Amino acid sequence: MSRTIARSQHGGRLALLFGGPALLGIAVFLVLPFLLALGLTLTDQRLVSPEPGEFVGLRNYERLLSVSYLVQEPESKVRGELRPTAPVYSRARAVIRANPAYAGYRPLADFRLGESRVTVLAKDPAFLRALFNTFTFAVLVVPLQCLVALGLALLVNTGLKGQTAYRAIYFSPVVMSMVVVSVVWVFLFDRDLGLFNKLLSVASLGAFQPIDWLGNSSTAMPAIVIMSAWQGAGFQMLIFLAGLQGIAQELYDAARIDGANAWQRFRHITLPGLKQTIAFVLVVTTIGALGLFTQVDVMTQGGPNEATSTVMFRAIQRGVREEDVAYGSTISVVYFALIVMLVLVQRWTSRRLEGRPQ
Amino acid sequence: MRKLRRLALGVGLAVIALTSGCDRPADTSGPVELTLWKQLTKLEEPAYQAAFARFNAAQNRWHVTAQSIPQGNYTQSIVAASLAGRLPCIVMVDHPKVASFVWAGHLRPIDDLVPAATLAPISPTALGRYRARIYSAGQFDAALAIFARRSELEKLGVRIPTLDAPWTLAEFDTVLERMRASGTHRYPLDLSTRDLNPDWWTYGFSPMLQSSGADLIDRTAMARAEGTLNSPAARKFALWFQSLFRRDLVSRREPDDNAFVSGRAGLAYTGNWWEPTYRKALGNDLLILPPPDFGAGPVIGGGSWQWGIGSQCKHPRGAAEFIDFMLQPREIAALSDQAGMVPVSEEAAALTSEYRQGGKNRVFFDLMRRFARSRPETPAFPVISGAFTNALRRVMEGEIVEDALDDAVDDIDQTLADNPSYQIQPGANVRPGARQP
Repeated sequence: MSRTIARSQHGGRLALLFGGPALLGIAVFLVLPFLLALGLTLTDQRLVSPEPGEFVGLRNYERLLSVSYLVQEPESKVRGELRPTAPVYSRARAVIRANPAYAGYRPLADFRLGESRVTVLAKDPAFLRALFNTFTFAVLVVPLQCLVALGLALLVNTGLKGQTAYRAIYFSPVVMSMVVVSVVWVFLFDRDLGLFNKLLSVASLGAFQPIDWLGNSSTAMPAIVIMSAWQGAGFQMLIFLAGLQGIAQELYDAARIDGANAWQRFRHITLPGLKQTIAFVLVVTTIGALGLFTQVDVMTQGGPNEATSTVMFRAIQRGVREEDVAYGSTISVVYFALIVMLVLVQRWTSRRLEGRPQ
Repeated sequence: MRKLRRLALGVGLAVIALTSGCDRPADTSGPVELTLWKQLTKLEEPAYQAAFARFNAAQNRWHVTAQSIPQGNYTQSIVAASLAGRLPCIVMVDHPKVASFVWAGHLRPIDDLVPAATLAPISPTALGRYRARIYSAGQFDAALAIFARRSELEKLGVRIPTLDAPWTLAEFDTVLERMRASGTHRYPLDLSTRDLNPDWWTYGFSPMLQSSGADLIDRTAMARAEGTLNSPAARKFALWFQSLFRRDLVSRREPDDNAFVSGRAGLAYTGNWWEPTYRKALGNDLLILPPPDFGAGPVIGGGSWQWGIGSQCKHPRGAAEFIDFMLQPREIAALSDQAGMVPVSEEAAALTSEYRQGGKNRVFFDLMRRFARSRPETPAFPVISGAFTNALRRVMEGEIVEDALDDAVDDIDQTLADNPSYQIQPGANVRPGARQP
């Protein structure tokens, strides 16, 4: 009895010893800066300032998260003109600026409610848009990147000649600097000279109208998604490859004897065998996707019309480039809280799914 | 335990050794060491090294040791060094950041140390002023111009503008429209909008705003952008800017920097630093023209990299002697001759081969002397620059002009309201008896 206790205590100490360096690193480079950032959010500290930051309470949070709305009646109705073809409203931005009750608010989005127009207002619409963009990016890139990675892994696992070379080739974008890759893809996406438009033009026998991929609000984010999936898929491919090689060959042999075709073997042996790997890859890719910054910084600077602005980009923009480090910290802290909530929800759902009776 | 203590001691000593690296105490026998920080540049590096060597050889009290820092990290390095109390004696600063640096306490004035006779002939935009003091002085400046092909303008039958009679906005529009109609180029004009850096957008396009009769901020007290950046004149400029892209006169994003040289664009609006490339490609066909007059006279951006003295410098006299040396006409001319930058005084220009009267690049010197205007000298400049760039890019993308400008105004005014010490309080911070420039 006493020996087991001694051993477990010893084990605890040993665990602490081995974990110590990593824990110290996390404490110094993660926990401490986060606590400092938390403190900064309550001040008006600038990045560089001869004056000490002053305590401003929750002002930064209020500026970041405040949301309101404005309801407008059509102009022409007020003036009593004849029924116009489309209702005309006065410029929402001007109405807000003229009304002190809306001080600090800006239009985020608007929609029609019967005759009147409702404009959703926010004190920092750029942040909310960035938040939306970031999640859009994650929702688009995670399935795409994982599917591509799985496809590549299956491809280089078939036992064909020279598959090691293919593995190296597919993995090579991952080790390239993201900045370099981004610069190259800016050329590929160019409207007049880019490879993609040329290819599409040739493939459609000239019928295709060139697209300004990165200059168009609706195509800029998908363009970044495609480029990011291409760049990152090699990493997930390696993990899938390891997972694939962990599946016993006997299972496939047995399935073949039973007359299972390729799809059935994939559906009933490969996929179940990769369950853990897929879960891991999804989590890792999602976390990576939520930190999207480099591609945006190099390729679009958040444009056009903030269509590719992401939370990390906003945080750097406000906190470092505009030197409002308190506000940049506030963005980071709020984002951190959101991600923690997301992770908790995800864990909770995966537990529920695993714990459900068969 | 003892090992640990010894380790801690070792680390401590190493830190002390590291931190005391700058500004070593004067050795009684030799000259006093002055550290200098400049941004790393490819072309100009040998010219600078030669100039530093000349200074070190010309006297025996001071010895300047230069450290070049990569451009991307330069400002951050200065800020970090200043926070750590290790700012070098002589620092090269970008003119629009001078106010920020002074406000943050990184720089000390130079006008009480560098002789007035040295500063007097220097072009106004080559001096970094803040609250009635001079904090930095540059050996060179840059100049914006419209680059064109003489043969093409003659074929189109348009008037070739001069410094005294630049194109009016209507004339400029006609040139662009005719050029588009001729179909020679993919786009008539390249505005370098592919450069996403706010530095370019503010440097390149705020002069057009000023030429329209508006500005980035009300400069009398640097306290408000409302009524200036969203004034009717500003809106008119922004609408015109938007129309350039609507009318397909300018590409929102050229794939590379060679639009003008390769003929994809008929005209280029950029700075004198492209002149060597353009002249090599076009030879005598190259025309360097003043930017159009938007109504309030042509304006170009002014203020480039300048020398300042770190506030923690123990030997400001030595630093001032160095700056005085570098601002002498022969040094300005030497740098210009070797690296091609626009010299900042008449006397220095006369000594250069390219910028003297009749020199092939004289036009840049004249443009600078006549039309250069500094970017607003306020610590809020980074915010102003970011807000203006953001607004103009949204205008380019086709957003409602008023909304974009109003947003920029609110961004700037919010920052100014949050930081009352950014504003100029007339009379404040000027020491009694300080020499007024």
